[in-house]
Amino acid sequence: MTQTADPAAPHRDAIPSLRAKDYKSDIKPVWCPGCGHFGVLAALTKTLAYLDIAPEQAAVVSGIGCSSRLPAYLSGYGFHGVHGRALPVASGLKAARPDLTVIAAGGDGDGFSIGGNHFLHACRRNQDLTYIVMDNEVYGMTKGQASPTTPPDWAKSKLTPHGTGMPRFKPAAIALAAGAGFVARGFAGDPNGLTELLAAAIQHPGFAFVHVLSPCRTYRPEQQDWKTEVHPCVLGPAHDIAHAAELLQRDDGLALGILYEQRFPVYADGVSADAAGRLADIEAELCR
Amino acid sequence: MSEDQADVIESLGEFIAHALELEHASEAHYTQLADSMAVHHNAAVETLFRQLAELSTAHAAAIAARVGDTELPRIPPWGFKWECPGAPESSDCLEGDVSYRMTTLQAIEVALHNERRGHAYYLHVADTATDADARALAAEMAAEEAEHVAMLESLLAGQTDADQAPTPDDLDPPHMPG
Amino acid sequence: MTTDLSIPLAVAVTGAGGSGAITAGAILLEAVAAAGLYGLLRRSVGPQIRGGESAALLRFGPRPVHCAGDRCDLLAALDWANHDRFADEIPLDAASLVLADPAGGELPAAVRASGARIIEIGFAAAAAGPGAGHANMVAVGAVGALAGLPLPALLDGAARLLGGKGEAVVTAASFGIRAGFELANPAAALRPAAPLPIQLSPRWRLTGNEAAGLGALRAGVRFVAAYPITPASEMLEWLAPRLERLGGALLQAEDELASVNMIIGSAFGGVPALTATSGPGLSLMLEGIGLAVASETPIVVVNVMRGGPSTGIPTKSEQSDLNAALYGLHGDAPHLVLAALDIADCAHTTAWAVRLAWRLQTAAIVLSDQALGQSRAVCEPLADSSGAEPAARLPAAAGTGPYHRYADTADGVSPMSIPGEPGLAYTADGLEHGASGAPSSRAADHLAQLDKRLRKLADFDFGPDWADIDGAGAENAALCLVTFGSCRGVVVEAAARLRSSGLAVTTVALRLLLPLQRDALHAAIGTAAVLVVEQSHGAQLFRYLNAERALPAAARSLARPGPLALTPAEVVAAATAALADGAPA
Repeated sequence: MTQTADPAAPHRDAIPSLRAKDYKSDIKPVWCPGCGHFGVLAALTKTLAYLDIAPEQAAVVSGIGCSSRLPAYLSGYGFHGVHGRALPVASGLKAARPDLTVIAAGGDGDGFSIGGNHFLHACRRNQDLTYIVMDNEVYGMTKGQASPTTPPDWAKSKLTPHGTGMPRFKPAAIALAAGAGFVARGFAGDPNGLTELLAAAIQHPGFAFVHVLSPCRTYRPEQQDWKTEVHPCVLGPAHDIAHAAELLQRDDGLALGILYEQRFPVYADGVSADAAGRLADIEAELCR
Repeated sequence: MSEDQADVIESLGEFIAHALELEHASEAHYTQLADSMAVHHNAAVETLFRQLAELSTAHAAAIAARVGDTELPRIPPWGFKWECPGAPESSDCLEGDVSYRMTTLQAIEVALHNERRGHAYYLHVADTATDADARALAAEMAAEEAEHVAMLESLLAGQTDADQAPTPDDLDPPHMPG
Repeated sequence: MTTDLSIPLAVAVTGAGGSGAITAGAILLEAVAAAGLYGLLRRSVGPQIRGGESAALLRFGPRPVHCAGDRCDLLAALDWANHDRFADEIPLDAASLVLADPAGGELPAAVRASGARIIEIGFAAAAAGPGAGHANMVAVGAVGALAGLPLPALLDGAARLLGGKGEAVVTAASFGIRAGFELANPAAALRPAAPLPIQLSPRWRLTGNEAAGLGALRAGVRFVAAYPITPASEMLEWLAPRLERLGGALLQAEDELASVNMIIGSAFGGVPALTATSGPGLSLMLEGIGLAVASETPIVVVNVMRGGPSTGIPTKSEQSDLNAALYGLHGDAPHLVLAALDIADCAHTTAWAVRLAWRLQTAAIVLSDQALGQSRAVCEPLADSSGAEPAARLPAAAGTGPYHRYADTADGVSPMSIPGEPGLAYTADGLEHGASGAPSSRAADHLAQLDKRLRKLADFDFGPDWADIDGAGAENAALCLVTFGSCRGVVVEAAARLRSSGLAVTTVALRLLLPLQRDALHAAIGTAAVLVVEQSHGAQLFRYLNAERALPAAARSLARPGPLALTPAEVVAAATAALADGAPA
């Protein structure tokens, strides 16, 4: 895996944490100390640096929520839109600018609840996008309500004092069913492992979904236990959908790694500079 | 961690790359902790983390000065030869004690945990690397790291009863569920 | 026979859905073009995919036609199925001529009661001859003969419309048309046969939806996000293959929430983008439009209005989304609202909207409606006059200091970078922000950004295109008819009638509704009495103009909902009543 650095290059090019600085803005995150999202930020900056994607060639698009603050903490281009709509903004941007590395990011409420429909269709549209969901199983920014991934018996929210009573949304299985060709799960407390997943996701041709377990220090302190509960996905990655479905049937939600990878035709309809058509011909057709 | 170290450092360049990554990751981690303490108005802990970040910076500079003509391999972030989830001094962004209400004492304990791991890592390389220059430099680094550990230990010893008092109640807590 | 040939002739072909009435209308419109005349073909259909009722409503003459008439001169009924559903749209009187197939069912009582002259023609029987034509083609021939359209023009029209379906289809159609033409009694003709023009000048044959698509392409739109909705879908369908030819792209979105956010993404990337929708879709897009305003991302939404609220009357026209377009956004969100004034103007207004959105870095809503979008006209080609160049941003240049995307400039427009440009990266934000784009809830930042976003619109010189003004001039006019969008056609026709009776009338058709050019409107009105004409139940334009103190206190309103088109006679009657009512002249 090692490459020899260009001898002329300063040593900084060889050091991921040093190069990652180029990808961070000087805005201080609003996240609580101990928040998992810091790990995702660190992993993403190291990944972009490692892949040699210039900051201005990457665009990170988000919705609303704690994790959706991410773009402002990066030095490249970002779009912090409205709640739940990160994926459509990313889709439009990628279609208009196929040359860019486009990454959508956000939380479990943003992506699986209010933005759930976009999640389904982005999976099957298979544009060359990466979607990172930082899942802490709670609405943090609105101060601790149950999200689609919250366990049904979590009764600490004033909004659902008896728990939601609903089965949890299963992001990986739903992504698979919706047609995604790359499904991975990472853990914010394992930034190096997450970096490897993010690099694979960005390099995957097509839609890549990275589900990141990212603990909420404030509203879900029990998630600190994830540190000892997560484990590698020993059966993955699956490369056919039957295997993947079987794997996800038995998934405890804590298995880390690439769960499924399959190459499908990439949705490639995008704006291109080398079209032969002329507007004058279209105008002329109206006069027939 | 070091007992389970499967991979062995094989060249001076490889070791320097590891040491630089360790120190810069450590600096980034402490800076991030300090920044988030600043955002949450925990000035005492912020100051401590800033000092630790500066120590890491200095340490990284000292290592950088030794690069010379040594060719450094370009290692992917996930390809470093340590087994903890991150670099040894910043392996864990999920320290149970890290919170906006943490005390100086708790912050020292977090730092001590990290610095001890860094020290152990350097010792391990000094012990196991197949390259003599790498072993020698690692031993130097281990000695410096030991100073960091000693400094933190003395800081810890100097903590008063007041510093060690239980975390005070949050006078203005966030809207908490339940 | 009507002697004044300059008055457009109104013809309707009706039948059960699937009877071919719509195709007959389309061929007649092509024949109108081949005869060197102008025409407007509206259609009235039910919500069914096929079946129900269908009517092709054609009005044509030697001058451009922009609205429905007061009455129907000539109705060809292929059958009488469901005639009651659109009888209101085809007003018959004693001067009307009705061609009815005796095999098409019993003559409706209302048709009999109108006093119209009934001529029985066996469309179906004539079609069943050796050429195996269709009844609707026989109707084309008969209508053409009685309406003064020459047979070669009718045959040419059929060949143009049906040519793509193969020679056999054209041959069969020609057989039917000839049969119908021969069946019609020349003595009953409403118009003498028009001479075929020696040379045809180029004319557009297009719908408002197609024209709006053309305007988008002209202004440089190269990305379109689409979610189907009646009556806007045809615009998106027209654009899809043409964007492809020009190197652009169209994405079919999963819903309108997605489509508006997709065009925001494209525009953020520097590629002019647009979507089209109708009322319910506009409601869903409003949050996204607000995001475009706050993040200063230029987008254009073409809203082809239909009867509302809710699902309303999807296939029929109304102007009742004005309030939603003006006021639907939450927060203080200055944006652009424009309205296309006729079918060809859909191209001009849409192109202008795209250019304005990019010039001012904001969201533009273009109001069209079903009557423009789904009607097809033979009209003069309209050159692209809103600018020679495609829409463009004010570019940013990397300087010595940090780049401030939302810098508070004198005119409120800040230089805009796009991804890929080094040294100019920023995060666009729907959160309130400071000049750099960093989120801020400080009062000073909020006020500065609100002021800037308002100022760039309020202080901009929009030039003369804000309205189409016609008539006596402010000093002389006794009456000023104020309207917007598709009602311009009916207002202009009504004004011509009022003038012919000696009244000095000005018409002001607003193309730019927001920001309202109030001073210019005051100047155009002068001291004239005012009647505000619109197609909504709630008098939305009248109330808006009053709220903006843009009208004299005695101004009157003619506001009627769809689905029936406003007629010139209605406007003349309201204007006469307003003047008689003592409104100061």
